[in-house]
Amino acid sequence: MLLSESARVTTAQEARFRIQAPNSKPRAVKVIALDSEAARLVDDISKKPWNGAAFFKSLSFEQSGGGNVKAWLNDLAGHTSDLVGEIADADCVVVIAGAGEDAAAVSVIAELCTQYHKTLVALVVPQGSYEQDTVDRSLKALRPYAKMLVIAHERDYIEAMLTALRA
Amino acid sequence: MLKKEQNDLVTQTGPGTPMGDLFRSYWLPILLSEELPENDCPPVRVKVLSERMIAFRDSEGKLGLIDEFCAHRGVSLWFGRNEECGLRCPYHGWKFDTTGQCVDVPSEPEESGYAKKVKLKAYPLIEKGGVLWTYMGPTETTPPEPEWEFATVPLNQSFTSKRLQDNNWLQAMEGGIDSSHVSFLHRGDLNNDPLFKGAAGNKYNLADSKPVFEVVEAPGGLYIGARRNAEEGSFYWRITPWVMPCFTMVPPRGDHPIHGHFWVPIDDESCTAWSFDYHPTRPLTDTERQAMKDGKGIHVRYVPGTYRPLANKDNDYLIDREAQKAGRTYSGVEGIGMQDASLQESMGPICDRTKENLVGTDNGIIMARHRLMRAAKALHEKGVLPPGRTVEDMKVRSAAVILPPDQPYKDAAKEALIAKVGVRQTSV
Ligand code: FES
Ligand SMILES: [Fe+2]
Repeated sequence: MLLSESARVTTAQEARFRIQAPNSKPRAVKVIALDSEAARLVDDISKKPWNGAAFFKSLSFEQSGGGNVKAWLNDLAGHTSDLVGEIADADCVVVIAGAGEDAAAVSVIAELCTQYHKTLVALVVPQGSYEQDTVDRSLKALRPYAKMLVIAHERDYIEAMLTALRA
Repeated sequence: MLKKEQNDLVTQTGPGTPMGDLFRSYWLPILLSEELPENDCPPVRVKVLSERMIAFRDSEGKLGLIDEFCAHRGVSLWFGRNEECGLRCPYHGWKFDTTGQCVDVPSEPEESGYAKKVKLKAYPLIEKGGVLWTYMGPTETTPPEPEWEFATVPLNQSFTSKRLQDNNWLQAMEGGIDSSHVSFLHRGDLNNDPLFKGAAGNKYNLADSKPVFEVVEAPGGLYIGARRNAEEGSFYWRITPWVMPCFTMVPPRGDHPIHGHFWVPIDDESCTAWSFDYHPTRPLTDTERQAMKDGKGIHVRYVPGTYRPLANKDNDYLIDREAQKAGRTYSGVEGIGMQDASLQESMGPICDRTKENLVGTDNGIIMARHRLMRAAKALHEKGVLPPGRTVEDMKVRSAAVILPPDQPYKDAAKEALIAKVGVRQTSV
């Protein structure tokens, strides 16, 4: 019997002929810690080598003319950059919240993600011996905005996820 | 994306490998009871986790799962004579019982005790829910016997099938926790398949092809919730449990039987896809059972006399480009089971994950891999037994629910995710 096309191409033998050229360009992943607990984690992770992922540890706001509020992101080295610019330039935005911490800043970020059509991924990281309702509070704050919401009990998950996303 | 060494770690399950050890921490389904239908029936060859074995039911109904090859000169015991409480090799008559113990070496005087010194490797084989299960790990750490709901309801409430799939177990399992493919690949079947159609929830699936996800860790694995818009600002949630290492369930639809899978490695380049359907509180109707036998729902039709799907790679999965163009099927392949299997086989025997580009909504898959790697390493390096081995872990169910916008499904649907005797599934 003649082998069908599918039978022939699905062998290990044929798998070797998959084109080895890269099939994607590096993507800009912006990782934003929403609170001080999350900032500590992000701080650690940012020290590892990444493919251009950018890490931010806090947001600050500034009243500008006409009642407008301008939001700034602070990176780990203490530099500030414009939140709008960072989001506009992102391929994927990951926010990280310590369970029960104030995640209010997410609404500002989320609004920009909607405006610029960016996917927002939110990670909730419960700390040591946490209370379930602290996790719930974070989830509630993040749920309306995140396209993907993850509760990650293992801290090394953040790293695993960023690696998986080629961040 | 996984690095090469990570991909090797999660896909290799042979003896001595970290993932192999992990798999050897659980009871795994390996045969249907129908494959060993009666005492002294023909023995069956079975390969699991890259180990070749023979399964048989002896004259007293005892089940045996032993090394396939005769200890004398290596003949396959598949040719053996299953008689008088043992399997006798047809070459020179050596005979083995269900524990692998050699009980007769005809060339040697019985009194010599020669037979006693010969024993084939054997694993326990037990029967539950129409399925034969084995545990291939150390005896001291044998977990509780399978308590999955599909295997504990009365037999008239369940239907279990298996199919051979020519690719590594992981790419098959990942299909089981990837709810975002349903709105594409299986689109044509939601309203047509007799085991899917008519459910109120289907319209949300079809109307909203961009679900939002929530991944929650469970002690034994994960819950992956996919959220779609329903009426008046409420959400339609479909919740898929994954229990380590290879059990997944599909969220139910209406009062249709509820279903799921086990993805069991045969070797690193093939696996058995187990598909079970059951109703927690009522017998399956004749129509449902017939549909399952006819390969509807998650089941498939077979090459007669085998567990190989009728639509397979040798016939290009009977792809129908007309049906694809017309939208009757999204990929041109008929049937939900084969739609999944054909695409997963097309990835090649072992998917090269160094080349993939995952997106944020793939976090369920990312998390499952992460937990597998973690658990496999902890077991291999420190002897820490992996999660997913308790009766509680096995008492899971998938669910489909409509919830108000501010309710976390993990709490609001908490009861719905636990299998309870006599309680119907929670479904829309
Ligand atoms: S679109 Fe997902 S594998 Fe091609
Ligand atoms: Fe599928």
